[in-house]
Amino acid sequence: MLTRLARIPMLVILTGVSGLAMLVPAAHAMALDDHAVGRAFLQSGGMVLAGALLLALATAGRPARNPARSHLRGLVLAYALLPPLLGLPLLGALPAITPFDAWFEMVSSLTTTGATVLAPADLPPSVHLWRGLVGWAGGLLVLAGAGILADLNLGGFELYAPRALGQQRALSPQGGPLRDPGLRRLDRMHALLAAYAGLTGLLWIVLLIAGDPGLVALMHAMAVLSTSGITPLSGLGAAPSGLTGEMILFLALGLALSRRFLPAPPGGIAATGPIWRDPEIRVGLTILMLVSAAMLLHHWVARLEATGPADPVAGLRALWGALFTLLSFLTTTGFESSAWTSTLTWSGLGAAELILLGLAIIGGGVATTAGGVTLLRVYALFLLARREMERLSEPSSVGGGGPAARQMRGEGAFVAFVFFMLFALTLGVVNLALAALGLEFETALVFSVSAVSTTGPLAEVSRLVPLGWSDLGTAPRAVLALAMVLGRLETLVLVALLLPMGWRR
Amino acid sequence: MKVIVCGAGQVGWQIARHLAGEGNTVTIVDSNAELVRRASEVLDVQGVAGFASWPSVLTQAGARDTDMIVAATHSDEVNMVTCQVAHSVFGIPRKIARLRAAAYLEAIHSGLYRQDHLPIDVVISPEREVAEAALQRIAAPAAFDTEAFLGGRAQLLGLALEEDCPVLNTPLRQLSELFPTLRAVVVGLRRGGRLIAPDPDDQLLAGDRIYVLCHAGDVGRTLDLFGKATRRQERIVVVGGGSVGLAVAQALEARPERLRIRLIERNCARAEVAADALHRTIVLNGDGLDIDVLQEADIDRTDALLAVTEDDRTNLLVSVRAKQLGCRMAIALVNDPTLVPLTEALDLDAYINPRATTVSSILKHIRHGLVRATYSLGDAEAELIEAQVLSTSPIAGHLLREIAFPEGVLVGLLLKGKEVVRPHPDHRIDEGDIITLFALAGDIPEVERLLQVSVDYF
Repeated sequence: MLTRLARIPMLVILTGVSGLAMLVPAAHAMALDDHAVGRAFLQSGGMVLAGALLLALATAGRPARNPARSHLRGLVLAYALLPPLLGLPLLGALPAITPFDAWFEMVSSLTTTGATVLAPADLPPSVHLWRGLVGWAGGLLVLAGAGILADLNLGGFELYAPRALGQQRALSPQGGPLRDPGLRRLDRMHALLAAYAGLTGLLWIVLLIAGDPGLVALMHAMAVLSTSGITPLSGLGAAPSGLTGEMILFLALGLALSRRFLPAPPGGIAATGPIWRDPEIRVGLTILMLVSAAMLLHHWVARLEATGPADPVAGLRALWGALFTLLSFLTTTGFESSAWTSTLTWSGLGAAELILLGLAIIGGGVATTAGGVTLLRVYALFLLARREMERLSEPSSVGGGGPAARQMRGEGAFVAFVFFMLFALTLGVVNLALAALGLEFETALVFSVSAVSTTGPLAEVSRLVPLGWSDLGTAPRAVLALAMVLGRLETLVLVALLLPMGWRR
Repeated sequence: MKVIVCGAGQVGWQIARHLAGEGNTVTIVDSNAELVRRASEVLDVQGVAGFASWPSVLTQAGARDTDMIVAATHSDEVNMVTCQVAHSVFGIPRKIARLRAAAYLEAIHSGLYRQDHLPIDVVISPEREVAEAALQRIAAPAAFDTEAFLGGRAQLLGLALEEDCPVLNTPLRQLSELFPTLRAVVVGLRRGGRLIAPDPDDQLLAGDRIYVLCHAGDVGRTLDLFGKATRRQERIVVVGGGSVGLAVAQALEARPERLRIRLIERNCARAEVAADALHRTIVLNGDGLDIDVLQEADIDRTDALLAVTEDDRTNLLVSVRAKQLGCRMAIALVNDPTLVPLTEALDLDAYINPRATTVSSILKHIRHGLVRATYSLGDAEAELIEAQVLSTSPIAGHLLREIAFPEGVLVGLLLKGKEVVRPHPDHRIDEGDIITLFALAGDIPEVERLLQVSVDYF
């Protein structure tokens, strides 16, 4: 049975899972006696499931010639084909919504961006649940996709094997018995799903205890684990659990710093060793500390003329606001701490929101649900920079640390740089396209960073622009939706998929 | 004594030369027939071409009635197997193997090398010994030669006396009267290229190179006395990142004082290996003779340069160049003993001769009696021997002045119980004392006789 399932194309399985997922809000709506909404979800779910079953029967007999590559293709196509299907129930549940808005909303959820064009207050709870669920599943898709990308030395793993970028990794270098790659992937999926769902459940319960109502607690748990930042409220500050809830979420946000917090991390040998020596965690925490410290210390620069001692309670509040919000944006979640305004007042920085933009570009760990450039690449670039500094004083010196570190600094940093350039190029092109569609430069910049780094709430939280997502026209939003997919999938992956090398066989 | 030396490389060659020079019957075995032919021509040895670990080859080399085998080929594993074959097939009583891999050396403490395990009596490791010697040189920068004796409680220092030495033209007898608490003995004196055992009435002159054996606690005072100021060594440059250079740099890194070490290695791959193994050392990839590389290593502010590449000539030239560029001290590794006199002409501060250290560790196994350590001085012109006095020895129970030591033999320090003492003619040599003797090469057989174990000892 499992072997059979493993043979079905990934896209068909994903479609089936989407259909099944629609039954959850359907049941939720029925339980709330919201029959119109429940019927919309039930009908769509049934249709999608039936379609998926037919497709599964039709395609089960055709195993792919190159499984890794076909999975990669499936992953890319998922972002193109799933959002319209996922948007179907919205059309039924919300009479006022246009098909485009439904599609945009689902792209934004599936890519864990969490940019919304719907006013949270007007939506039925089941629709909220659906948005959160799609975001959550989007996070799971990213985690599962990381395994596929790792097998092809992509998605951050190109740093460990820069020369084999986009090529399939030998599955068993020792020549031992090979397990069916499909089954292997199922095993990993199994462990991942258990941990991901388990953590979500745990977080849900803890948030419930902290005082959040059921739906809010569940959606915040899902939003943080998938870094989508989708909330049924107007913002995190409106959550009844308050600071306690934030502290709980803070711990969960930390999971997006490294793939090693979840079971079966891809990347083999690089994911061994003590966790506190993991470069990504170190880089992430260092950035968090330095930026928070800089923001808090700026207080004394800003209020040079002011008199009187600093208020310690306000200082602590500011510290918390900085830590939570910075981590939330570093992991591209986009939740704003209720203490963030205190932070802004305390530090007195003119454009503190720009820092959030920068952090969102840096992003979280590779093979986690976070987006952005990712910490591992930042680490490789940092290594290269440090090495080059050494070479300024001793041009012929040789760096140590072992072959792996040397490769990370050399070719790895080069690939990281290429990625960084592709990322910047994507940003630039999106920015340009938005500008061509009539947006002002600053507005275009904020929205493009928000989309490419998959940090949806950035536009509103940063307060840099007067517009929200719903104020944008159709064309800019279409461009941004594309940018979200590009940011989620990483431009490098698309380049690798489209490389002529991929056509050879 | 019959000895088989396996491997006619640097180490094997020098061991064979030394042992043959002492009148032993030496057979050299090497897979390179040309090397074997040259060895049997140049040295007073027999040669057998073939693989040292093959029983047939060893039979041919006369392993049936051999007393000792020295396995000094380039491969650790061949050396191990050779010793095993020598033990199991031929029952050769004494087996010495040269091992260089650190992993094998660490196994010494876990009891790997025992009769019933891997039958190796002595493990010699030239690289490690050279690294050790290099560290001792750096520790006593004013000395051109150093070696520890009496389990580290005494230190042999080779000092070149200059005009500013405060004790010039003073008879040695007077020295001991002037400084009664100083536990130091001048055991050897080289004047005009000749090494002698000085008389109490001899005076020291500028230009003399002397060997002083002193208590480890008196090293500073001794150096002061002979006009050698000690200076803190902080910046050190090591040239050559092979096994010796790497071992030296690692040992330097492990020192408690934080030294600033730079290592220069020409081969890029080896430089990378060194950079991986070292943490605080800056590894430079380049030719040590290249003036740009030396300047990059801040040679003008360097306290000590250690040239330990495998090429003697490079070592000498790098040292000279470094001194010219302002390095305060240069130490060169010199494998070829005939090049040693050059170090003086080139104004180098010290040299390390791996042969001396390696041969020393082998010598103590062919010397009779309970010889605990020997150190070969100069070009095998003399030896410093540390031995335990047995009850059967002719000198046991006698006063020092009663013992008829030969002309070229001088008593260094004595270890009585736990106390290191300077010898006095009225001291009695007791059983169990440890005695250090300076002996010119010609007098070594007589010293052996004095320390000899009689048959009834067994």
